[in-house]
Amino acid sequence: MLIIKPKIDFEVNVEAEITPDIATDLEYAKSFTVYYGKLEMSLAELFEVEKEGDSKVIVLEGDFSRVKWIGKGMLDGEIIVRGNAGANYGAFMKGGKIVIEGNADDWIGAEMEGGEIIVKGDAKNLIGCPYWGDLEGMKGGKIVIEGNAGNYIGEKMVSGEIEVRGKAGDFIGTEMKGGLITIHGDCGIVGGDMKAGEIRIGGIFELVPAFRETDDVFVGDVNVKGKGIVRVLTL
Amino acid sequence: MENVTCTFCGAVCDDLYFDGDEFRTKDFCPLGEAKFSRKKRIEYPTIDGKKVSYEEAVERAAEILHNSKRPLLFGWSSTVNEAIRLGVILAEKVRGIYDQCASVCHAPSVLAMIEEGIASGSLGQIKNRTDLAIFWGCNPVEAHPRHPTRYSVMARGLLTKGRADRKVVVVDVRKTVSALMASHFIQVKPGTDYLVFSAMRALMEGYEDAVPEEVGGVRKEKLIEFVEMIKSAKYITILFGLGIAHTRGHDRNVENVIKLVQLINRYTRCILQPMRGHFNVVGAGEVAAWECGFEWAVDFSRGYPRFAPSEFTGVEALLRKDCDAALIVASDPAAHFPRAAVEQLKRIPVIQIDPFPNMTTLLSKVVIPCAISGIEAEGTAYRMDGVPIRVKKVVESEYWSDEEILEKMLEKVLKLRED
Amino acid sequence: MILVKNGHVIDPVNGINEEMDLFIKNGRISSEFKINEKECEVIDAKGKLVVAGAIDIHAHIAARKINSGRAMRPEEFRRVRQKTGKFRAAVGRTLLTAPAIGYEYVKMGYTTAIEPATPSLYTLHTHEELDSIPIIDKAALPLFGNWHLVFKFIAENDIEKLASFISWVLEKMKGYGVKVVNPGGVEAWMYGSNAHSIDDLVPYYDVSVRDIITGLIKANEMLDLPHSIHIHCNNLGEPGNYETTVDTMKLANGIRNNRRQVLHVTHVQFNAFSGSGWKDMGSGTEEIIKLVNKSDNITIDMGQVIFGHATTMTADGPFQFDLHKLLKNKWINLDVELETGTGVVPLIYRPSSPVHSVMWAIALELGLLVNPDKNVISTDYPNGGPFDRYPYIMTLLLSRKYREKEMERAHKYLQRAANLPSIDIERTLEDIVKMTRSSPARILGMHNKGHLGEGADADVVVYDINPAEFNPDKYREIEKALSSALFTIKGGTVVVKNGKIAGDIWGRTMWVDATLRTTAEIIEPDLEEYFNYYTVNRENYGVEERWMRRAERIEVG
Ligand code: SF4
Ligand SMILES: [Zn+2]
Repeated sequence: MLIIKPKIDFEVNVEAEITPDIATDLEYAKSFTVYYGKLEMSLAELFEVEKEGDSKVIVLEGDFSRVKWIGKGMLDGEIIVRGNAGANYGAFMKGGKIVIEGNADDWIGAEMEGGEIIVKGDAKNLIGCPYWGDLEGMKGGKIVIEGNAGNYIGEKMVSGEIEVRGKAGDFIGTEMKGGLITIHGDCGIVGGDMKAGEIRIGGIFELVPAFRETDDVFVGDVNVKGKGIVRVLTL
Repeated sequence: MENVTCTFCGAVCDDLYFDGDEFRTKDFCPLGEAKFSRKKRIEYPTIDGKKVSYEEAVERAAEILHNSKRPLLFGWSSTVNEAIRLGVILAEKVRGIYDQCASVCHAPSVLAMIEEGIASGSLGQIKNRTDLAIFWGCNPVEAHPRHPTRYSVMARGLLTKGRADRKVVVVDVRKTVSALMASHFIQVKPGTDYLVFSAMRALMEGYEDAVPEEVGGVRKEKLIEFVEMIKSAKYITILFGLGIAHTRGHDRNVENVIKLVQLINRYTRCILQPMRGHFNVVGAGEVAAWECGFEWAVDFSRGYPRFAPSEFTGVEALLRKDCDAALIVASDPAAHFPRAAVEQLKRIPVIQIDPFPNMTTLLSKVVIPCAISGIEAEGTAYRMDGVPIRVKKVVESEYWSDEEILEKMLEKVLKLRED
Repeated sequence: MILVKNGHVIDPVNGINEEMDLFIKNGRISSEFKINEKECEVIDAKGKLVVAGAIDIHAHIAARKINSGRAMRPEEFRRVRQKTGKFRAAVGRTLLTAPAIGYEYVKMGYTTAIEPATPSLYTLHTHEELDSIPIIDKAALPLFGNWHLVFKFIAENDIEKLASFISWVLEKMKGYGVKVVNPGGVEAWMYGSNAHSIDDLVPYYDVSVRDIITGLIKANEMLDLPHSIHIHCNNLGEPGNYETTVDTMKLANGIRNNRRQVLHVTHVQFNAFSGSGWKDMGSGTEEIIKLVNKSDNITIDMGQVIFGHATTMTADGPFQFDLHKLLKNKWINLDVELETGTGVVPLIYRPSSPVHSVMWAIALELGLLVNPDKNVISTDYPNGGPFDRYPYIMTLLLSRKYREKEMERAHKYLQRAANLPSIDIERTLEDIVKMTRSSPARILGMHNKGHLGEGADADVVVYDINPAEFNPDKYREIEKALSSALFTIKGGTVVVKNGKIAGDIWGRTMWVDATLRTTAEIIEPDLEEYFNYYTVNRENYGVEERWMRRAERIEVG
């Protein structure tokens, strides 16, 4: 297990594409390249890095809200963020687990393919979404936001699961092609150009006016001849 | 001088008269006239408020940019392409961020274009062919005052000879002055444009059963009528503004109207035209696109361009405290950015290049006055439809042009890099 | 001064295919023979291939089209080709940034490229972009085939006026020649339709496609411009379209020019389909090849497709809309007042697709069977794929073995729908030099390019290929050598060493001034009338030489 703490108050954000792969080799971890603005630096120049045992776990202590890209493309192991997290955590992730005990920034689990992300606080926008220009969003795995979430959730999602325990913003499951999104609280616009998959909502929401109502669910979006299902959660 | 080009709004009128000796204008709209009037200028370059030479100011600016970890180079929509190009190269060489005013304006329209492309045309397509013009979430009478006469509502063209040959619809959340020009006005509830576009698409394809009786405060029959009006027109232009791009739904609104336009083209012809604001905000995007692949929100910290509109716009970089110096060209973020972003601007060294003093001048360490593009300096600008138009030098001036200042700054930066 | 020593020079124009020295002085090839080696940069090219810089006759490298494509496709710019340093950062997959375009061209030994479709209203933008492409020489062809004033002059059957108009436009726009895209069809698109044969009529003006093409050929020949008209035929991308292409080519019958062709048909692959629909679409090259080979007034370029990503972009508005519907991909359309249209749609060419495989084969059939003196290698960048894959195309033409290997990847439908499998021909190095150097130079009327004779531009390339030991079966090595020149010299400056950028200079933009041959007065009333319909003032329409970085005016008269 690695324990990583920022050494200084950063002047600009840091991009640290670390995965649990570095947790088992302290020297490698310390020399791992991170980006501090235009400067290429080693992890140890900006962070205190300590090792305890050989488990494939990274614990991030202190404020990581200005450190981006943690867990990019990780395959296995675990990352625990004790405080708030920056943008792009778990992007392209294929396996393993990320637990964020504070709040998360934008792009949590963007284009993720597998594994699990749990955010105990709130998350911002673009959860499990595709980066600009890409045709597919989340392809697998699970993202749970225990607090509230922002706009754009599960766009172009192909498979996997996103659950928001609190409220969410606009554009849930836009152009969704598969998978499951559950929002327990209220949210905004839902289901635009949805092709397939399912969205379950517990609170008040605005369905795109291009769905057909059947017995217990809405099916659409008719504009893309969609077979997506929007279901109202009942307790 | 005849055929002068106005450098205020995105309509970039090029049929104007301006007498540079007397500062006398003819045919300008009030907005353009205000730009082409004598105004208080920044008199000389300063560092920390003290008068310095151009050379000293440029040198200090270069040092600041060179020594920072991620400088933000922001503005650009009110200068010419020649300066913008140097700005992009400067951002690349100091490994900073290039961002421009679109990021607080029509960037959602560009994001939407990434999703769906856009069916568009030059403004002459409205003038010559359009028999149905739809203004949606924009107010040309106030924002682009000569647009209706020169290009759209009243313009006399080859096939559409004038106002009588053209239906005009205004869609907005309230009856603006522009609605007075319209043959039809449709009022939608704020924040529902996305829903209305989806409903119109469904109605166009005959999925009436899926559309509720009322969408966005508009009754279904009225929407059906609207859709029929569109289908029976020959060449439709939808012009939209920040009422779509900067209200709830942002880029998704624009994406949905693009999809609507794609669909209309299966029945008849239709183009979409964003009503861009500053005279060269299109250039600020286009030049960057050919120089580095992206139009705005570009970070060069790794020695090559990366695009991240939720991280590297001017506002986001400041809010995230992700820049440690800033160069502001022809823009006033101190007046227009959110408060928290301005707070960060106050914390970092700021270099300003501008002809006129503004709020940003007050917090700038290095202030470099410049010639006014289109009055004291020439160059190329792109109209809202991307048509390139030369803006002219009609008044002699001692001030350096943006282009000269940036050229020198780039030279200095390259020199510092070598050492 | 540079001395390229002992290289194996292939220069078909001057009949050279042997070991010899090349001396470069003042940016040109010199025939001085008393050379003081100490004053020269000496490049030892013993056992290496030495040729002139190559010319891309048709690549959409600048203008509003490619730039809108860039804005629409950020996903294209994640490929990093060069980090910023002494030179500019260069990025892009099939769409490249302007710096990347210049660098990638010279790395493969290309030193000139032609932007083949600029809408005049947007041509100042085109020149700004061309001016941002480093190193190479370039030129732009304004679009004429759907211009209302052209329709008007054709309707009046006034070729003299049309010729005056062409020279007026070339001067105004600093253009090099006359481009025609889907004549009449793009104007029909403004009404939601298209032109489907050369007998279709243009709405409002009632002129036929046939009249537009013949009129433009005649006007172009009346001016005797360096280049002939350059046409993208009607019905592009439609099964059975080879017939339209043949009909179009026949319009050149009886019109002659001693120096060159009178009709250049571009990216012919896209216009050489047989069949009545996608189910029976096949190669329709046979008649086209026969016709081109027996005519002395028609030339073509290939329009090869490369398997992988591409971005289609043409002035052919209705075609782009059809492609958008077919692929359900994002779509840019730009209707340009009174002049033309434009469209952009991304595409992936898949070897698993029967149609794409046949398209791949069609272009190679053209490359193998059309006389290399009348044919040029192209991908219609970025329509068929990225230009940095030209070495792949050259190698396929050179090596039958490579073709067979690639054919295994392609869909087996091509075995029956194309003729390629039965073609044994292997092109020689000299053929390839023709198809990339001497032919495009002659077709474009660029007499200082495409060869290494006295006075030619000192655009010289040294490849790690020994013609004396050339073995087409070693295709990997050949492709690699062609991809990365040992040396590229542009106008006398070494710009590439061992496949890496070594020098950054600015090339020229060539334009043709034929105003001495015409009188603008005869079209004055027409210009006056039509500028009522433009949204730009006549005085502000056009490009001045002083706004360009390095303009080179080529006067004909
Ligand atoms: S409409 Fe715009 S460009 Fe035209 S005069 Fe007014 S401000 Fe200037
Ligand atoms: Zn082309």
